[in-house]
Amino acid sequence: MNAISVRALAFVIGLMVLFAIPKLTGNEYVLALGISFAALSVLSGGLNLVYGYTGLLSFAQVGFFGIGSYTAALLVTEQNWSLWSGVAAGGALATAVGMVIGYSSLRLSRHAFAIVSLSFALLCMIVARDWVSLTRGAMGIPGLPAPTINLPGGMRWRIAQPADFYYLLLGFAVFAHALIYGVVTSRLGRAMRAIKLNEPLAQSQGINPLAYKLLAIALSALLAGMVGGLFVFYLTIVDPSIFDFYYTETMLIMVIIGGPGSFWGVLASSAVLTAVPDLLRFTTDLRMVLYGVVLIAAMLLFPGGLGGWLHRRRVARWRQPRVAP
Amino acid sequence: MRPRGRSVDLNFYAQLLLNGIVIGVIYALIAMGLSLIFGVLEIVNFAHGEFYMLGAMCAYFLTVNWGFGYWPAVLIVTAVAISLGCVLYEALLGSLRGESFERSILLTLGLSMVLQNGAVFLFTTTPKMMATGLSYSNIIVGELRLPLSRLYALGLGLAAFAALYLTLYRTRVGKAMRGVAQNRDAALMVGIDPRAVSRLAVAIGIGLSGLAGAALAPVYAVHPLMGFSFVFKAFAIIIIGGLGNVSGAAIAAVMLGILESLVGGFLPLVMVDALAFISMIAVLLLRPQGLFGRGVRV
Repeated sequence: MNAISVRALAFVIGLMVLFAIPKLTGNEYVLALGISFAALSVLSGGLNLVYGYTGLLSFAQVGFFGIGSYTAALLVTEQNWSLWSGVAAGGALATAVGMVIGYSSLRLSRHAFAIVSLSFALLCMIVARDWVSLTRGAMGIPGLPAPTINLPGGMRWRIAQPADFYYLLLGFAVFAHALIYGVVTSRLGRAMRAIKLNEPLAQSQGINPLAYKLLAIALSALLAGMVGGLFVFYLTIVDPSIFDFYYTETMLIMVIIGGPGSFWGVLASSAVLTAVPDLLRFTTDLRMVLYGVVLIAAMLLFPGGLGGWLHRRRVARWRQPRVAP
Repeated sequence: MRPRGRSVDLNFYAQLLLNGIVIGVIYALIAMGLSLIFGVLEIVNFAHGEFYMLGAMCAYFLTVNWGFGYWPAVLIVTAVAISLGCVLYEALLGSLRGESFERSILLTLGLSMVLQNGAVFLFTTTPKMMATGLSYSNIIVGELRLPLSRLYALGLGLAAFAALYLTLYRTRVGKAMRGVAQNRDAALMVGIDPRAVSRLAVAIGIGLSGLAGAALAPVYAVHPLMGFSFVFKAFAIIIIGGLGNVSGAAIAAVMLGILESLVGGFLPLVMVDALAFISMIAVLLLRPQGLFGRGVRV
């Protein structure tokens, strides 16, 4: 077998193990970690697309996540929409908002985009807290019902158990990562990377930077909005803490440690960073202090992250002279 | 409750206007420092709000726990903030260059996480009121009540304005600072040390932020998350005023403060919070170089 089929096999086996976990163990803690991983990895994957591949530092992901959550929760509870249409509406609204932010700030510079995206994320939290007539303020919307999905063949799947949510979110995460992988390995991904490396040069090759930047933002907003819509039904409550800066910081750490622009690196660091702090039982405050220290250290010492390190090692191996035995 | 009657109405407006000016001047202190640091170093300091919070916290502990008066506390906090700024530059920001824009953001964001969550861990999120003698004293002019604490904050802010203006436009070092902001390489060529100038810019910026925190400590409750909501408005202000334009930031800040206060008198709270963001997006769409920018820097 050659190296590629070995990797493909490992990938398929890994995926089967992930989907078999609820059958192997009924442990709810393991399932909860798996659900967190599924949701956070979609967020960090989207951020990687925007920051790692296209070079736009974005703080807006958590805003899209929360907008998707609120939209889906409100439409399902108050308008009796089905889960999928609520989630799709959440994703669509997040995408539209993302386009507005991206279009207005990218006309100036990527500096402006970073600042506007941060302001946007903070604004979302404040609006969720203060627009009481729509979002019910700080109390949020508790007691979200267990959603039901119509399966083909007239079956109905009531999603109430942690295992059901695990399948739902893991399935969505696989779909989202396949989409991201498809984009970053295609012509689109190469154009995005070219823009990140050297925008004027990319432009001179006939690439329109604004279009690709907006595409990256729109795709990450869509995925973040949809995963938010699914995730709130597992939480069963949506309140302004869905916009908590904690999510932004976690996502950023995952991308930085995994290596911006490295698909597998970010996926791996998402898994490790979901599991490790939870197992070590840090209080959230101390965990955030630690994340801050890690962020500072990473920026000063190894800005390429895990993916950057692996890449450097591979390049060094290529450069070694091959001596015949 | 909205007061009725024409003369009372007028007082109501005057009161809103005064509150708006006070809050606008404080916004300006924070935004000017942010804008100065961006202009000279091309670094967006995401930890800026945390220094405002630390300033307020320090002022609280100095007055309540250690029995200092208001003025000595303000002086001590400002001095501490200026030295913190020097330390911050030497320890973290000095190693960055203009092209590593994203790195500088992530670095200062990490710092902000450490400071904010460290403060939450040590002091909890319970808001503290700095009840000093002047918290409840008012000056009454006609039918207008002017809280003394707000007037002091206003006076401190205006004094800091004047000091910054004189430093930037009337001293050699200020000239050097403006030179580095305009063109770093050219400034280096004529013998200006960019490191010394950058260190001074960071020290002034952080010092202004600490001063703002100390000045406002008797007006609002003091808690570890207070820097967060403030800095979000400061970011909007520096975009509205034009990135790196210090006087533009000051004017935009006072305008935003007044506008927010007037809008807050009539419309729900959510509109007040959204105002800064909506103005920022409008400015970006209509005049991307900022209200007071001369040209777009691409």
